[in-house]
Amino acid sequence: MDKILEKKSLTNWLKKLTGYDVYAPVLKDDLWNYEIISDGDNLELDYLNTVQAPKKFIFPQVENLLDFGSSDEGTPEITETLPQPNPTVILGVRPCDGKAVILQDLVFGGEFTDPYYWNRRNATYLVGLTCNTPPSPNCFCTSVDGSPHSQEGLDILLTDLGTKYFVEALTDKGRKLVSAGQALFKAPTAKDKKDLEQVKTGSEKKIKRQIKNLKKVPPKLKDMFDSPLWDEEAMSCLRCGICTFLCPTCHCFDISDEVTSSLPLKGHRIRTWDTCQFPDFTMHSSGHNPRPDKASRLRQRMLHKFQYFVEIHKKYQCTGCGRCVSLCPVGIDIIEVLDKVRDYG
Amino acid sequence: MAENVYIPKLAKIIEIKDEVEGARAIRTFRTQFLEDGFTHDCGQCAMLSIFGKGESMISISSSPLEKDYLQFSILKSGRVTSSIHALQEGDILGVRGPYGNSFPIKKWKGKNLIFIGGGIGLAPIWSVLQTALKHKENYGKLSLFYGARTSKDIVYKEDLEEIRKDIAVHLSIDQEEPDWNEFVGFVPVNVLDKKPSPKDAIAITCGPPIMIKFVITNLEALGFKDDQIYTTVENKMKCGIGKCGRCNIGNHYVCKDGPVYSWAELKKLPQEY
Repeated sequence: MDKILEKKSLTNWLKKLTGYDVYAPVLKDDLWNYEIISDGDNLELDYLNTVQAPKKFIFPQVENLLDFGSSDEGTPEITETLPQPNPTVILGVRPCDGKAVILQDLVFGGEFTDPYYWNRRNATYLVGLTCNTPPSPNCFCTSVDGSPHSQEGLDILLTDLGTKYFVEALTDKGRKLVSAGQALFKAPTAKDKKDLEQVKTGSEKKIKRQIKNLKKVPPKLKDMFDSPLWDEEAMSCLRCGICTFLCPTCHCFDISDEVTSSLPLKGHRIRTWDTCQFPDFTMHSSGHNPRPDKASRLRQRMLHKFQYFVEIHKKYQCTGCGRCVSLCPVGIDIIEVLDKVRDYG
Repeated sequence: MAENVYIPKLAKIIEIKDEVEGARAIRTFRTQFLEDGFTHDCGQCAMLSIFGKGESMISISSSPLEKDYLQFSILKSGRVTSSIHALQEGDILGVRGPYGNSFPIKKWKGKNLIFIGGGIGLAPIWSVLQTALKHKENYGKLSLFYGARTSKDIVYKEDLEEIRKDIAVHLSIDQEEPDWNEFVGFVPVNVLDKKPSPKDAIAITCGPPIMIKFVITNLEALGFKDDQIYTTVENKMKCGIGKCGRCNIGNHYVCKDGPVYSWAELKKLPQEY
């Protein structure tokens, strides 16, 4: 369903979304982050990209898996704590971050369905915004089968056409949101459609960074497990893990118990984001560690995203958002590493 | 609604046996579910919970033919396993699972089965051994190689004496001891010394990673083919269902796609375990 929404009507549309929590990118202390919009006035979608992907709305950094306690006789008692979130609209999702949700779906679905993830996922409405110009100098979505106007994972894709948005409602959820603002949306004219195509084509050409022939990388990685390249590339790594915490597709987590009262016993079993870049991520209690050094951990990040995930799901586990490149404190650049892999030997 | 995969079932400890004393103590726990439980296959694991301490993935060492209890032999090592060691008979713990694949015992009909364990590594292959012993008619000759650091580190001592009546048991310890009449030396050396025949045989091994490595080398030297050697791998695990991301070896999650591998399968994966 294609529509046109005048920019000046954006606020009015959001006001009609009663019953939804609406989040949009807000600039605070030089950083764009999603914040709840209680009053949509003055909202302008002129942000770059948010520091954190909207991943946290569906897979929060801390999730309560269960509460535990004990009866008077000391028998453990478990209370299930499945989240029941309000319907939540995330406005202004970049197409790379929308696509990342599809990759997360593959991880949290499958043989063992993760109910915490899906309760949040099903309550989340993703309204995307085409990147008419790249929001980061390190954007490389077009190298990883994405595009600045990709619709994957989104319920609605908005494209800025100057004074108005071209609105593509892509799913039932998206159509429901558009219906809520019915009269505000008009049918697109032939010119609108032509403008849309022009903006979309133009947007792809503006992406500066590229990994040429990425297709050659996954089979090549298979033979590079013992390559000295990993040592060289990991030399400067501080093992801070920021590359994975900011990654919209990284899904690794820890599970631990948090005790709030010892007598009687009370507490929560929580799931928290974790990272393959930390030494104790894989360390056995014996002290043995299958990935004992920075090189093996950097290799795991690269191989997971560009070999193992491809072997399992036939997709790269990377959407080219560029966050790990821009925000690595020592300048480890996934694009450069993959270029080296492709050209290695 | 589908069952919540993260919620453990409650089970009561009905029996505790001290296997090994000291800093590397090993105890065997038998548990019974309070309500509905689950059935498992040989080689599968379960995630045990002590509420307030956390979870730990442990091999189920009892045979699936044993319907009255699940058995876990646990080396006291980290926070969770130390807390389990502090439990008494009658105490309740959480159990979720079963997780992972299993030994393909149906394919082993008529084969000679050679079990090779080291230390606590006897526990993960014990379920297969017990199952084979209960259905001896389905298999050829059964034998067991088992070694520990010292005679005090040997687990299942009474059971080993018991099964000796039925099958060949080759014990070993790493260094000489006054009253020790059996092999002295590492498990892989004992295997090479006794020279089990690869003809119609399957070797099933588990122990410390270094032991497994040399057992495989020595079995190959004796003429065993890659698909005649099976092992079970362990890695640090949190979820048990292939999502938390830490137990992978290449594109395999050990919790879900393992822990049981033939050497033919395992050698194709990156050597990172």
